[in-house]
Amino acid sequence: MIIEAHDLRKTFTARRGRGKTEEVEAVRGIDLSVGEGEIFACLGPNGAGKTTTVRMLATFTVPTSGTARVAGFDVVKEAAKVREKIGYVGQAGGIDDNAPGRESLVMAARIAGLSRAQALGRADELMAAFSLTEIADRPVKTLSGGQKRRFSLAIGLVNRPPLVFLDEPTTGLDPQNRANLWDEIRALRDQGTSVLLTTHYLDEADALCDRLVIVDHGRIVAEGTAAELKKEVAGDVVTLRLDDLAAARGLLDAEPYIKETQEEGGSLRAYLDDGEHNLPALLRALEAGGLAIRSISLDRATLDDVFLKHTGRSLRDAA
Amino acid sequence: MFRHTMLFLGHELGNLRRNPAWPILGIMQPVLYLLLFAPLLTSITPNGTLEEALVVFTPAALMMIALFGSMFAGFGMINETRNGVLERLAVSQAWRPAIILGRVAKDMIMLVLQSLVILGVAALMGLRIGLPAMGLMLLLMAVTGLFAANLSYGLALAVRDENGMSQIVQFFLLPLMLLSGLMLPMSVAPDWMQTAARFNPLYYAVEAGRAMFAGDYSDSTIPTAFGLFLVLGVLTLTWSVRSLRKLAG
Repeated sequence: MIIEAHDLRKTFTARRGRGKTEEVEAVRGIDLSVGEGEIFACLGPNGAGKTTTVRMLATFTVPTSGTARVAGFDVVKEAAKVREKIGYVGQAGGIDDNAPGRESLVMAARIAGLSRAQALGRADELMAAFSLTEIADRPVKTLSGGQKRRFSLAIGLVNRPPLVFLDEPTTGLDPQNRANLWDEIRALRDQGTSVLLTTHYLDEADALCDRLVIVDHGRIVAEGTAAELKKEVAGDVVTLRLDDLAAARGLLDAEPYIKETQEEGGSLRAYLDDGEHNLPALLRALEAGGLAIRSISLDRATLDDVFLKHTGRSLRDAA
Repeated sequence: MFRHTMLFLGHELGNLRRNPAWPILGIMQPVLYLLLFAPLLTSITPNGTLEEALVVFTPAALMMIALFGSMFAGFGMINETRNGVLERLAVSQAWRPAIILGRVAKDMIMLVLQSLVILGVAALMGLRIGLPAMGLMLLLMAVTGLFAANLSYGLALAVRDENGMSQIVQFFLLPLMLLSGLMLPMSVAPDWMQTAARFNPLYYAVEAGRAMFAGDYSDSTIPTAFGLFLVLGVLTLTWSVRSLRKLAG
């Protein structure tokens, strides 16, 4: 295991006006284990405690309680050793806007202990890998969002870390750049690098990650592979809009092929396996109960349904 | 440790080289003071010559760049608390004090270079001082810069807000300047102001500069100024490095 965390907690003391303080529990007991060569995601809404968790694991923030070992070292007592083994790409990017990207890259390499010649070589290597060579000598502030993000990633990889932390790596990127970044993250894994990333995009966690945890209000609410988690809910989901939600819910709960029902934002979501075959039976049941359907749709269950099952709200609505 | 400080210094000097306009603008104010204010002082000097006035006012003009330049050095760092640069450096293998020290070293070098320009202008106007006085003055500028820049970085990391920081700096600058005898020597001030000035570290720096320029190396303000700024420099450095650690909350 490249990351092993036990009961990590972080409480911030926030100032609220004159002399008043408020305790904010950002992380309330998180256990994590990430294997070597895995892409692991923390999925959750904004404010769930994802960034604080990553910052604790990356030795930036000291946990209030709990322990964590990263690459075999304790994040508090052996922080310096951990820092040799990790790459960290924060949400803000962390590049000097006024300097050319090459300059920042060489500088980061030299901080990691490389000589000037080695650092120049390593920078060239990374810039070639991320198609940055042509824009290497332009001030970073003149680059596009995607180009900046690639420079941030290159800087995070400068010390050839066995583990990289990526805090919301694709937020704000257009679909094309996002897909490219996914490919680059997969390439990292294929070279044996472990990746821990945070995201609030369901499709990102689903498509990119080997395993994930869903985080809400500073706690882990579900853990597993995306397939396992979705299976736990059901294969398919029927979303219904009708006038008497409660009556429909009671009626469907009695049907043997319905695994679970959830009310969400004026609609009823019924979880079932083999939706195509069971849909006619569902329609007959509602008709027999005299309930008029205003709209109906059948979809594959997503990680949002997993989130809904565990928190009672949709990830889209959770702020 | 030293290697990391030099790395950060090199990076900062690189940024300065790419964008040299600001430090050049920064010396315009003291140059204007030399040209347009120093001549007024001829009315209070014993023989009423411009050279006497320059001996009195040039050290003050130098301290102005230390104050109005280095005290604002931290503004750049406020942005770095937001753009993630400090966050990244904090979890890198960098020796943390080097992050501050490299920047402070850049500010000290910049201050000494700016001082040389001011001294050049003063020399053109008729100031004649020996090499030891000039060397000592530049050294005094360096330690003043050490203190002012460290204080500015400490403030930047503690306040982390451009508006708040500029208010705080302005709030302290004016009384510090008026009570240092920067414009007119404190010897013309009433007793209570002279007493108040003794609690202002800048007063000693200005007086030490004047003593050195007048060739009076036995003046007690010289060791006081050097000692004071070295101690304050170390204290403010400790503070700013601590604030850096608190960045993560």
